[in-house]
Formats: sequence, structure tokens, C-alpha cells
Amino acid sequence: MIEVDHLSKTFWVHKKKPGLMGSVRSLFKREKVEKRAVRDVSFRIDEGEIVGLVGANGAGKTTLVKMLAGIIHPSSGAARVLGHTPWERHNDYRRRIALIMGQKAQLWWDLPAADCFLLLKEIYRIPTDEYRRRLAYLSEVLSIGDELNVQIRRLSLGERMKMELIAVLLHGPRVVFLDEPTIGLDLTAQRAIRDFILTYREAHRPAMLLTSHYMEDIQRLCKRILIIREGEIVYDGELARVVERYAPNKVLKVHLRRTGQKVQPTNELRALGEIVECSEDTLCLRVARDRVAEVSARLLTTYDVADLAIEEMDIGTIIERIFRERGEVQA
Amino acid sequence: MNSRLFWKVVSLEARTKMSYRVEFWISAVAAFAADFGVVWFVWMAMFRESGAETIGGWTRDGIIIYYLTVVLVGKLVRYREFTGAISHDIYEGGLNRYLVFPVGYMPYKLAQRIGLQAPRIVQFALLGVIALLLVDIPAETAPTITTIVMAAATIAMAFLLSFMLDYCIHQVAFWADNVWSLDVAKWFVTSLLGGFMLPLSVFPGWAQDIMAWLPFRLLFDLPARVLLHRADAAEWALGLAAGVFWCAALWAAGRVLWRRGSLEYTGVGI
Repeated sequence: MIEVDHLSKTFWVHKKKPGLMGSVRSLFKREKVEKRAVRDVSFRIDEGEIVGLVGANGAGKTTLVKMLAGIIHPSSGAARVLGHTPWERHNDYRRRIALIMGQKAQLWWDLPAADCFLLLKEIYRIPTDEYRRRLAYLSEVLSIGDELNVQIRRLSLGERMKMELIAVLLHGPRVVFLDEPTIGLDLTAQRAIRDFILTYREAHRPAMLLTSHYMEDIQRLCKRILIIREGEIVYDGELARVVERYAPNKVLKVHLRRTGQKVQPTNELRALGEIVECSEDTLCLRVARDRVAEVSARLLTTYDVADLAIEEMDIGTIIERIFRERGEVQA
Repeated sequence: MNSRLFWKVVSLEARTKMSYRVEFWISAVAAFAADFGVVWFVWMAMFRESGAETIGGWTRDGIIIYYLTVVLVGKLVRYREFTGAISHDIYEGGLNRYLVFPVGYMPYKLAQRIGLQAPRIVQFALLGVIALLLVDIPAETAPTITTIVMAAATIAMAFLLSFMLDYCIHQVAFWADNVWSLDVAKWFVTSLLGGFMLPLSVFPGWAQDIMAWLPFRLLFDLPARVLLHRADAAEWALGLAAGVFWCAALWAAGRVLWRRGSLEYTGVGI
């Protein structure tokens, strides 16, 4: 459904020196700097998939989404979405996609949601029966009632996001771009939006590309993720395998029964793994993932163990570290 | 864009505009008082100081009626507010949603402008009636069915022309981000060369010859003179044809700007 082939986007941005003199100088001469927002990105997304696009601020997530939604033109490369080149903006294409931008309200501020939806009905030429059926379904799943008749600007952020979701899904898009749909929402509203997205995906099987800064969104919604760093895709694969690939070690934390004697960091112990902590009653070892069972067994037989815990690095932490670092991430 | 959607947008925008009724009436009275008050004081002073009976072919009462007409016509022809402005959409990223919608941006904005401007017909009619009651209008300049029909066609053309001018000028925002100063310059040029600040007949002959080739006189001067019986049927028809020509030329220029400009568009943020 979505095929992206060596897509790149470069912006030219003006650089201005700080201070008054910098401002005066920029009136006459301005320096332009090249900003490579997206570099040589390739991937594909199939029907029914929700793929998470994760990256730090400025990594190029929104630029990529805007290119695929047809808002901006790429500098090079190609993309086919539903058989169309997005930035050619064919109406056939635009009738089959949807874009929701959590940071930018798409609905008309001064109108009640019901009026906005009627306008969208005309924009997308949705037959009346179909419109009524979809609106009823979406309102029910999102628990929307009287709020339909309230001006958008008078709704809470969570209610507004629900209306945005209804608005972009009324025409039954086959591809949905969700750019930070839960940004700024409280935990309850975030959960409601996530549950809705899953329900909708099960019922309609569109391809979805989701960007979010909340790992909870990614973990709950996406089996597959793309990690983008400085415009480049550095990981494309299953979310679960991120841990295996970027965190090859686990931490074994052993609590020992008090004997009054401190455990010595012997060579034998070092051979089992990297010693992180070694005290009277606690021993912490960083151990290769494939040796965890063997090392645990050795520790249980060698020491008087009161408790043993095997700790996996939190996936959010791993991904955050991938954003920042170029090399492999160690647990 | 189909006509059903077009009129739906018009209706929605008009309803939105009218929902802020305090603002609606304050702007109606304040804008009218400001536009008309300034020129009234200036022209009264000019007649008093010069001691002349006529200036540029206009008597004192004639000029008052001319300004009343021009200010009322201006209400229907041009739109001063920033709401829904094309440059604003480009600068703030509001254009994003229109690029995702399966509709043309230009027809959508036109429908939006008609909707925003339509409630002003109420202001125009009300203030026009009050003016008719308060000002002593000579019989030969009183509106007739014929002049009203002719003026309606001219005002519609002038409205479209004003929109097309905005459509082209605001697209400079694709390159310059903020075109507020350009908008102010356009306001000044159209007011001066369109007959909003001064009747064009007070300009020297050579200036009038140049202005005859420009589109600005079609915005206020022509509709006002049609309403005041100062333009005959031939001039009216020629003016309409010129207006259609300029609209077509600006439409073509707008398409080129749109094609080039949308390549520059960043949609705000990276």
C-alpha cells in the first residue's frame, strides 16, 4: 500500500546571527544553510499494518509524513501510495487517505463538529446513508454524544482529538497518517485514542503510519517500527526485536542471604559476565542474552541466593538511546 | 469543486461570520465611520480653503455622495481581515489540510471569501438606506432598477478581481513567509488608483490615461460611477469585459505561482 524508495528531502533554511547587529545584517545579507531532513529513506507498509515511526525532535518524522500525504515535494526519490505519487495530489488519491496532525487542528475552530462533518461529507462526496452509518459507528466507538453540537474551540483537548479522528475517518481512508495523535492528552484520553485506533484497524484494515513521542503508543499499537535518526532510517523491523538487536545483554540481580562476608569479584565471577555491583548482599552482573540461563544456574549453585531477578532494559530507554547514539546500545 | 460543496462552504462561512454579531455590527459602523469620516473632513476642508465650487468636476455634495457610494461598494468588494487569508494559511501551515482535501484550493478560498463577505450585503443595504434618508441625493443620481442591476454585475466582477489580486499577492508568502507589508502596499495602491481615496477625475490627464490600462479603477471607481449614473452602457460593458480579462490573466498568473510556490512550501516545521 505504501512503497517508499530512496526518498530524500532537503530544506534551505536562513541562518541569522543573534543580537541586534545580527538582525540588522540579515536585512542585507542572509546566509542559507542546507538542512537534510530526510535522507535516502526506503520502506513499505502493507494493508492492515500499523507501523510506528519513532525518532527524536527534528529527526524527520513529520517531513516524511508530509511528503507521503502529498503536502510537500521531495528533493529526490520516489513513493507510491495506493498506486499514486502523493505529491501529484490527484483527487482519487486524496479521497483515499487521511492525515491527522496532533499539533495542528484540522477542524474549523468556530464550527460545531457536526457542521464540520457535514462539510467533510461534501468535500469527500460521501453518500448520505454511508455518512450516517460511519458517523454513528465512529461516535459510538469514541463515546461521543452531545459534544457533536459544541463549537470545536469549546471542547477539551481529548474531545477535540476524538473529533479530529472522526473527521479524518469519515470517508473510509485506506491509508491513515497519524502524526502524534495523543500529544498533550491526559492518560485516560491517550488510552481511549489508542483503544480506538486498534478497534478501527481490526474492523477496517487500513495501512497506518504512526508517529509519537509516547512509547506507550508505540508499544500498544505497533508490531513494527521504523527508527529515524537525523533523517535516516536506522531500524526497520519488529518492535520486539529492537531489544535483541540493540540490547544484547541482560542484567542479573542476585540478593544473597546475609553471611557477614562480602562476595569477592573473582576471575571466575568475571568470566560469567561484567560485574556491575558487588556488595555484601547484592551481586549484579551484565550477561550476554544467550548465557542468562547458564549463568543463573551457576549463581544459584555457587551462592546462597535469597532472590534472583533478570532485568531487561526498558524498550523506551533503548530507543531513546538509539536516537542519541550512533553505535550499538549495551544493556 | 462541485457547486453543492461551493455553496456549502459559502453558507458555513457566512453563518460563522454572523455568529459573532457584536463584532459584526461594531466593524460595520466603525469601518464605515472611519472610511467615510476621514474623507468627509478632508474634502470639506479642501472646498472651504479653496473656495472653489467644483474640484475635478465634482461639487461638494457630489463628492459626499461619491464617497458614500465608494465606501459602501468597498464593503462588498474587498476584505480587510486576516481570517482565512491565503498568506496566513501558508505562513501558519493551515494550507496543509486543504492540500489533503480532494478539492481545489483556489475555488475553496473563493467560496470562503464569498461566505465571509456575503453578510456585508446586510450592512451595505442598511447603511445605504440610512444614507439615502440622510443625504439629499439629486434625482438624476438616485439609483434606478437599471443602475442597480448594472452595478450588481460590476460589483460581482470587482469582487472577483479583488479576490484574484489577493490570491496572487498572498502567494508571495511561499517565498517571503510574511507578506503583511505587501498587503498594506496593495491596500494603498488599490485605494489610490482604484478611486477609493480620490475620484479618478481629479488626477491629471496623463495619469488617468495610465490608470485606464490598469485593473484598479474597476474595483471602486467603475461600480460607484455606474451607481451614480456617471458611466453609460458602453463604458459599463467595456469595464466588465476588462474586468473579466484581468481576472483571467490573474487566474493564469495565480496558477503559475501556485505550481512554483507549492514546491517551496514546507508545511511549517521539519
